[in-house]
Amino acid sequence: MADRKVRRRTVLDPAVADLLAGMEEKQAESHLPRRIREKKARERAKIRARRDHRVTYDLPPQLKQSVMELADKLSLPASQLATLALLRFLQDYKNNNIDLSKFKKPSSSPRYDWKLIFPKEWFEEEYINTNKKA
Amino acid sequence: MFIFALANQKGGVGKTTTAVTLASGFAQNKKKTLLIDLDPQGHVAFSFGLDKIPGLYRWVVMEEPINSVTVKVREYLDILPGDKRTEKVKRHITLMDFRESVLAEQLRKSKYDVILLDMAPSLDVLHINGLFASDWVIIPTRMDAMAVDGVKEILLTMGEITQRGHSFSGYSILPTFFDRTTRETMTQFQEIVRAFGDRVLPPVPQDTKVREASAFGQTLWEYTNNSPAMTGYQEGKTFAGGYHQVMKRLLEVVDG
Repeated sequence: MADRKVRRRTVLDPAVADLLAGMEEKQAESHLPRRIREKKARERAKIRARRDHRVTYDLPPQLKQSVMELADKLSLPASQLATLALLRFLQDYKNNNIDLSKFKKPSSSPRYDWKLIFPKEWFEEEYINTNKKA
Repeated sequence: MFIFALANQKGGVGKTTTAVTLASGFAQNKKKTLLIDLDPQGHVAFSFGLDKIPGLYRWVVMEEPINSVTVKVREYLDILPGDKRTEKVKRHITLMDFRESVLAEQLRKSKYDVILLDMAPSLDVLHINGLFASDWVIIPTRMDAMAVDGVKEILLTMGEITQRGHSFSGYSILPTFFDRTTRETMTQFQEIVRAFGDRVLPPVPQDTKVREASAFGQTLWEYTNNSPAMTGYQEGKTFAGGYHQVMKRLLEVVDG
């Protein structure tokens, strides 16, 4: 029979494991030079501050790609272009310049009553890069 | 019926606060709960804004029925209060036959879903009785060397009791007064996690609101349900520690 060393695995309560990992990370950090500690603290503060600005939406890949390309071309953050686009949409919607009823179809999701079905050609490169209005 | 004992021979580690908070938590989960004060300080009644009365003395020494000495303090929650006459209970039990199992025998007939025993910080006959009667021992401990030593002492006592024929379903260690910014907390926490693994419950953060609650005769659920001692530490959207999380773990123990 093979001589195998068997070690018992310690299974921790997940909350205890998380807390311990966080504390150990902070302790390890406390031994770093002051400059690096301050830099890490600034990074953490930045991440914390950003938390409220973060959102996840599902977008058609072509649209996502087009926004990224435009952001690259203009050398701007894509988030700011998306912000502008959403602001314009909300203004247009409030001024009754956008009619969603044309695209509305009943949804089978238990969460929503409706879904929006957009014409496929809208997401083709040619369409996105022309002046046609959606 | 499931019996928890809250024990640590070191005083001031949060036994009574934990006992009161967990008892209220079980009651809120519609478990018919009894909290028995085995400590002559009688702080269980005080925590609910009541006067200390010799409930344990009347039950064990005067042999009054349990339903005439318990006090209903909340929906689904009764307490069996104590006061300095609890000391006389110890003397009384010492003279009895099979003295280690007096409490276990008395509790066998009760009809509660959950019973919590708030033990005194000592190692006397009542303490041994409490351990003998319990299915699960919760050992609250501060993250300092003396309190952690108290954990070891309780475990040794539990070992001796097991040798005398009682079997515990298990035990948990509950870090209390947890202050994650100090090095000593970190060191002691690492030690107990290394030694006890999954028996360590999520810690309860240090929180001044806890001291205020007993002064107002309210439980933590009533006085400060959103404070760190209850909700734990927040990291983004997740929480770690606090009595809410501890309660969930213990409900799993009771419900199997």
